[in-house]
Amino acid sequence: MRKLILRHNQAWASLKKKPGFILTVLLTMGITLGALLCVVTLNYLLLVEPLPYPEQDRLFVAEHKLIGPEKETKAIAFTYPGLVHLYKSKEAFEKASIMAYSQDVIVSHPSQPLVNTAYVTPELHQILASPMAMGRMFEASEAMDTNNPVAMLSYNTWKKEFSGSADILEQKINLSGISYRIIGVLAENFVEAELDGIGRETQVWMPWDYNQTGERGRQSFGNISGTLNFLGQLKEGVSQSQAQQLLSPLVSDRWQEGVIEMDFFKGWSVVMLVTPVKEVMLGDSESIAVMLLAGVMGLVLIACANISNLFMARTAEKQRQMAIQAAIGATKKHLFQAMLAETGLLMFMSIILALVLAQIGFFVMQEHFEQILPRVNELSFNPITFGSAVLVTVVFALFFAKLSTWMVDYRSLNTTLQSSGKGSGLQVSKKVRQVLIASQVALATVLVFANFSLLKDAVKTINAPIGFTTTNISTLVLNFASTDFPTQEERLPIMAEIKEKLEALPQVESISQSPSPLDGWGVRALTDVVSKERYTPFLNGVSHTYFGMIKQPLVQGDNFTLVDRQDRNNVMIVNQSFAKQLKADGDVIGMKISVGGPDPFKIIGIVKDIAIPNATPTGSDNADAGVPRVYTPNGLGSQRFMVKVKPGMSVSREQLGKLLSDVDSRYSVYSFDAADDILTKSLFVEITTAVTTAVLASLVFLLAGIGLYGILSYGTQLRRFELGARMAIGATRKHLVSMIISDNTKAVLIGFVGSVVLFALAYIGLSEYIQPFLNWQVLPMIVATIVLIMLVTLFACYWPLRQYINKPAIFSLRGSD
Amino acid sequence: MTEIKIEMKSISKIFETDDVETHALKDVDIVIRAGEYVSIAGPSGCGKSTLLSLLGLLDMSSSGSYSIEGVDVSALSLDDAAAIRNEKIGFVFQSFNLIDELSVFDNVALPLQYKKELPTDEFIKERVETCLKMVEMSHRADHKPNQLSGGQQQRIAIARALVADPAILLVDEPTGNLDSQSGDTVMAVLAELNKNGTTICMVTHDARYADMANIQLRLLDGQIVKDEPLMVAV
Repeated sequence: MRKLILRHNQAWASLKKKPGFILTVLLTMGITLGALLCVVTLNYLLLVEPLPYPEQDRLFVAEHKLIGPEKETKAIAFTYPGLVHLYKSKEAFEKASIMAYSQDVIVSHPSQPLVNTAYVTPELHQILASPMAMGRMFEASEAMDTNNPVAMLSYNTWKKEFSGSADILEQKINLSGISYRIIGVLAENFVEAELDGIGRETQVWMPWDYNQTGERGRQSFGNISGTLNFLGQLKEGVSQSQAQQLLSPLVSDRWQEGVIEMDFFKGWSVVMLVTPVKEVMLGDSESIAVMLLAGVMGLVLIACANISNLFMARTAEKQRQMAIQAAIGATKKHLFQAMLAETGLLMFMSIILALVLAQIGFFVMQEHFEQILPRVNELSFNPITFGSAVLVTVVFALFFAKLSTWMVDYRSLNTTLQSSGKGSGLQVSKKVRQVLIASQVALATVLVFANFSLLKDAVKTINAPIGFTTTNISTLVLNFASTDFPTQEERLPIMAEIKEKLEALPQVESISQSPSPLDGWGVRALTDVVSKERYTPFLNGVSHTYFGMIKQPLVQGDNFTLVDRQDRNNVMIVNQSFAKQLKADGDVIGMKISVGGPDPFKIIGIVKDIAIPNATPTGSDNADAGVPRVYTPNGLGSQRFMVKVKPGMSVSREQLGKLLSDVDSRYSVYSFDAADDILTKSLFVEITTAVTTAVLASLVFLLAGIGLYGILSYGTQLRRFELGARMAIGATRKHLVSMIISDNTKAVLIGFVGSVVLFALAYIGLSEYIQPFLNWQVLPMIVATIVLIMLVTLFACYWPLRQYINKPAIFSLRGSD
Repeated sequence: MTEIKIEMKSISKIFETDDVETHALKDVDIVIRAGEYVSIAGPSGCGKSTLLSLLGLLDMSSSGSYSIEGVDVSALSLDDAAAIRNEKIGFVFQSFNLIDELSVFDNVALPLQYKKELPTDEFIKERVETCLKMVEMSHRADHKPNQLSGGQQQRIAIARALVADPAILLVDEPTGNLDSQSGDTVMAVLAELNKNGTTICMVTHDARYADMANIQLRLLDGQIVKDEPLMVAV
């Protein structure tokens, strides 16, 4: 033990003299290992760690897949009665629960917050064995058709909105005019099965009976909703495929009965998809996790090559010290132990920094990646993190110590002393240096190219023109907080007064009683009256001032008029994409389109397409395809408004809340968001991807630059006298720069070839993830990557050289004798 | 009058470190004419190597004027100085400074590759072979420097210095890293070259070899204190 302490004291004393060396190793290994620990923990969580639910192997999500007449997928979403039918059938599942996700305003709360809600049957929390912080979960008394108004809160909502009130179970909350008694608060460690989107946390849970589907929707097999979900525990012995086979006819037959009178659905069918809950929750995040791991491993390898070079240079520097140690009796093992003490100390310091950075990484991921990666809220240090930390510390300490002592020829150490340090001494061989350069270039090329490809796609989406303006426009959606719904006649004067008062606000430039183009779309089944061809475009009801406010150009025909809205005329405006679907030449003015009712709609105008980020046509994943859209005039009782404020001015949610309650106390603000914010939010994934890949690419460049500089600088230093001799016999700076570049070109070219090999290996192992990126558009990325890597290499060639070639030749020759 | 190859007037060299000025050379005047064999001797630290560096344009003087074959080279850029070194000066170092990775032939040919216009392959071959013959090393053309003895390496260095047909050969302690037998051989080669018309300026601390020159300069504290027969001490 004393020997160990002594060795480490000596190692520390030796290292202390080289603060620059310590700092470089600490920062390089600390940052990269921090990223590694963070990503390893994430991968374990996503790929290995079981969900915290009992019997999770039997937990499956059932989905309703609508198949069109040509066997194409039309949509994956339930109809309300279809979902209830499946739930009640109890087929294949031992326990099952249905859920409807939504949002609502807690009107009884002083700040009237908009919260995420879920209407569920009691089995959900029983299946998940949800831990409770206080109170109880839903039980039989809250089952379907019991109409018992109770609610459960999430832990965060209890803490944030109710200040963690101890008497929360004695309180009531009012949503949409219904007063719910709070019966329980979920525990902090409850992990929600996020089926309605990654990162969506349900804040208030209510019984299924209170879901917001209207009476018509509850009966119609023709309406689908993406917010309806089914989760169940399969019966013992029933497999996934057996469940699909059992459920498909059960659901399809009932659906066919339900739509028998709807011509639109002729030839359609339903297939049930049964998927493990973990797979649904993880989505395609597995590929993100694997790609992140591959990227970080690349970073670690680059860092490892950099640090190897530093350790080898340090060993060369310590040659004389080691020779003295050998002369006084140190064996080869002693020298290795001394080196291990140094590498061990450095790796220990690096791993401490790495753990700190990993913790910061967890925080950053939880704050910013919540909508991209599932389960990030569960990220924390676990035995895998610590185990990985110990493993990498030991492995890297041993590797660097072994590498350093490997280059020492123990027998020739005596010669070092005899020659009093003269001669070339111990050096990192040219071959090793060339291997290090080639590996740096290969790894940097692969990583930079991968990051560039992701960055390019993200930037393309972010910068794509949307085709309408969002400047100074906010969307206001009203909330009606009562079960006493007004009739259409009662609502019209209320909305007219609200509109009038909104227009009278000094900050407001104009009002359009319409939803925002970023909101309110639904898919509608339409039929061409003449050809009987069926279509499923997106549809929105808008006012006559809608297109003018968002500056979406009308390219043909007429806009809606106020009269169209007042009289609810059957007129329709379509966008260019839908016009082309209807008729190849796009000339569709006057065409009659049925929306299911007795009187068809007449197309009176065509507007330019808009491009809402990440929107694709129904049943297609092609982001470049034009999305068919249809607009109809909305009624004057619409509760959605676009508010355009004067430049530099703003209206607060509180101000609007007061305005509404002055008109009618039953109305409050449901949501009031700037269109720019909604747009930015819809681009969250792309923005996060762009930032992450740009940071990673920069980090790779930085590390590769440092590494190449280190290796080339060392090589140039070794060639100092040679440079001096060449200068003495007439070599100009140009000659010498060309020589150094040409000498390293071979290694750089080998590096580029190595990157192709790495790509090929990656393609073999990860073809499903890489295939979508392989097209001609990657060619400029390849060129850009190669050019940038070459620039980094040229810089690393020139920079260490300049200290010799920009001084008189004697500077390089001094000491050569 | 024989052609003046090198003329230095009032050359001084001052090294400045941490506000301390060291006068390595003080107002040195030198004239070297075609065909002369000049030796510069003196104790360690007297400025011999500094003087040779200035003569070889490896370093720049702090003041004074310097011309080679009548061309003023006192204030050249680094690249212009390199070009003059390539054309007019042949260097022989104490530690040979051969490039280990290149063959003897390629080492000798190196100065020709730095010419503004690259000579033809035939010319290079012929010139290298001639120079190797001059130092009696033709049979080692394909060897690598580390396969040769110190004396042989120094003869290769002399061949390299001669290959571009310089105006003057500057030789820095040519026997410093050699045993006496090899040293004698190298000195014999230099004497033979001078006999055939090559102008030589050699720095040495060895009085025996200094005596082989027909002009002997002696430096002390950065100043020339003795010259025979053509030099003027300041």
